[in-house]
Amino acid sequence: MEETNETLCIGIDLGTSRSSISASNGERHVIDSYVGWPLDMVGRKLVKKTVLIGREALDNRSMLDLRRPLERGVIKEGSAKDEEAVQELLRHLISLIGIKQKSKTRGKVRAVVGVPAEAFRVSRQRLRSAMDGVADSVMLVSEPFAVAYGLEALLHAMIIDIGAGTADFCVMQGRYPTEADQRTLPNAGDSIDERLLKLIQEHHPEAQVSIHMIRDWKEKWSFVGEPKSRVTVTVPTKGKATEFDITDEMRAACESILPPISETLIDLLSRVEPEYQEQVRNNIIVAGGSSLICGLPDALEKACSELGGGRVTVVKDPIFAGSDGGLSIARDASTADWERLSL
Amino acid sequence: MEKDVAETKLRILREAIQSNVGVVRSSKVKPQGLPKRAPPLWFWGFLLIAIGAAAADFVVRQQEREEVKKMVGIQLDTLRGIQNQKSVAHLAVPSLVVSRGKDPSSHSAAVDMANPLLPVGSHLLNATTPLSALYQMNRTVLPLSVRRIVIDPGHGGKQHGAISESGVSEKDITLDIALRLRGLMENGSLEVFMTREADETLPLEKRVAFANANNADLFVSIHVNWMEPREIRPLETYYVGATNDPAVIKLASIENRDSGYSLSDYRRVLDKIYLDTRREESHRLAKAINGELYQSLSLINPELENRGVKMAPFAVLIGTQMPAVLAEVSCLSNEDDVKLLTNADYREKIAQALLRGILSYANNLNGSEKKVADLWKKPTKLSASE
Repeated sequence: MEETNETLCIGIDLGTSRSSISASNGERHVIDSYVGWPLDMVGRKLVKKTVLIGREALDNRSMLDLRRPLERGVIKEGSAKDEEAVQELLRHLISLIGIKQKSKTRGKVRAVVGVPAEAFRVSRQRLRSAMDGVADSVMLVSEPFAVAYGLEALLHAMIIDIGAGTADFCVMQGRYPTEADQRTLPNAGDSIDERLLKLIQEHHPEAQVSIHMIRDWKEKWSFVGEPKSRVTVTVPTKGKATEFDITDEMRAACESILPPISETLIDLLSRVEPEYQEQVRNNIIVAGGSSLICGLPDALEKACSELGGGRVTVVKDPIFAGSDGGLSIARDASTADWERLSL
Repeated sequence: MEKDVAETKLRILREAIQSNVGVVRSSKVKPQGLPKRAPPLWFWGFLLIAIGAAAADFVVRQQEREEVKKMVGIQLDTLRGIQNQKSVAHLAVPSLVVSRGKDPSSHSAAVDMANPLLPVGSHLLNATTPLSALYQMNRTVLPLSVRRIVIDPGHGGKQHGAISESGVSEKDITLDIALRLRGLMENGSLEVFMTREADETLPLEKRVAFANANNADLFVSIHVNWMEPREIRPLETYYVGATNDPAVIKLASIENRDSGYSLSDYRRVLDKIYLDTRREESHRLAKAINGELYQSLSLINPELENRGVKMAPFAVLIGTQMPAVLAEVSCLSNEDDVKLLTNADYREKIAQALLRGILSYANNLNGSEKKVADLWKKPTKLSASE
């Protein structure tokens, strides 16, 4: 650790749905990855701000040009507005931990940012550019690797980081994971949302639902296997509040991500050297917002049963596991290393 | 033990930093621009005259350029299309300027680009490349005639593909149509290869390797769709490319299930495809085949829905090194389509339409009716055999 009074180490998990930050000054925050600008004079007058971030942006979305600027964990391509939105998001995260961007007394900020395991090189470069002016030095690491590092699960372990945009896999074999050790799937929280919306629209065409309502329901009641209780929601139908049972739709939507995740898990396991496969099988760690789906570890253990069984655990703090891991990396890197990574 | 963990962490951390240093270096590389010192006035005068002369020459030579474009065979439009691809916006794509004097020996092609070397096939264009060299290059980049074709009946063996409610398997239908297509081609001078001739399991990467190893000029993969809602009866033909259509992504993920490729493999290869003139040729082939299929089958099947030509990242289209298409010739989720598919005459009609599509493409490529006649001596009677 080479942290001084003048330097601040931070770990950022820039997620499609939520972004979290952990800092060496003890601050930890999570925000919804939404950025919105008032659409017109009326909006500006009402919200009294030039830009709104996170939940505040979501709550005032009718008045805003609302952006969810990250797609599958990286900046959406081809949109300058989305790039600007990511910068706003990063600036906001930094301000939450007490850093004033334009302060002359501001110390050096060293940031580790998690990106999807198989993010394009060009996406990494764009993210580095977005960090310009936000931090002084930046290191980009794969999200599951950041989780593994934070948990010190560096040998014979598999990390599955299931977020909104992607499910990222990484097998730790005592080395920095190579491409062969990692996978990224697009089947994650967002695909559950889309599936759930479609199923509800098919089965209850009269129900008026939005994708934001769907996301809220999923966060409250998502499950695979047997539900703890029936899932009922109240939604307007032609303006009248009506109750619907969406248990079956919720199960079908959540279980839709299981086959690709199980297949990838088994595929990656089969590529591990045979003498270590059992150890890896018994050390599968699930992180990310979608790891909170009820019954998910059991379902993945069931998938491992055809290989001889396995043990799947969910990290204690799925929301901050990535940013905490990033912070650990940032703290452990030497000053000389950080100088090589300066912006 | 703690010491071991600390050492492992330190080693891994060094590797992580090293991998980041590579990204930092490449992101700090600035494109080479004009020198900071302003050039003298005479330079700007000379430049203006040169631009004026070039513009006048451009107008005069427009017609000639079209002719040369055909001869050279490089699809300038394709290159411009590539330039417009946002995904490769960081790559410089050249404009090709061909100049021809009275003396054929003075013909030359200049490549104007920030990145002076654009790989095209196995060749690299230098700042001035003799036109004759481009002619030679064209023959390797895009074959001027179709001599060898690989037909790929989808699925097979343990991989049934789609199965209708009445139990008809995609793998059986595709093999039957492929065998019929080969039968129709036996009368011509085209060399026909099939990835499988029986009900056998064949991984997608082996199909790709087979087509590449045999230096095929065309690759045609035959499939039968399965789609919700079941009332629909779509006809679609695919060529390689990225897509945002969720239905196509779903279909590609189903068809690619046994590919042996990982998602990162697809991404890497798709990146290259943007720089691949082969894609434009695949598009033309797909259009020709889809047009013939619809024209022929809609007479028997009026409810057939022509969904046209689409891009999709199917494994067999990504890996093959020649113009390649995947035709979804019918739909096993629709029982009326299933009834038609169980009829030998209908399968024969599909094979004939595929043949006409292939020949139509070859005809345009060769630009000569005579060559097409060489390719295929039309049988006197196209009969449906059980």
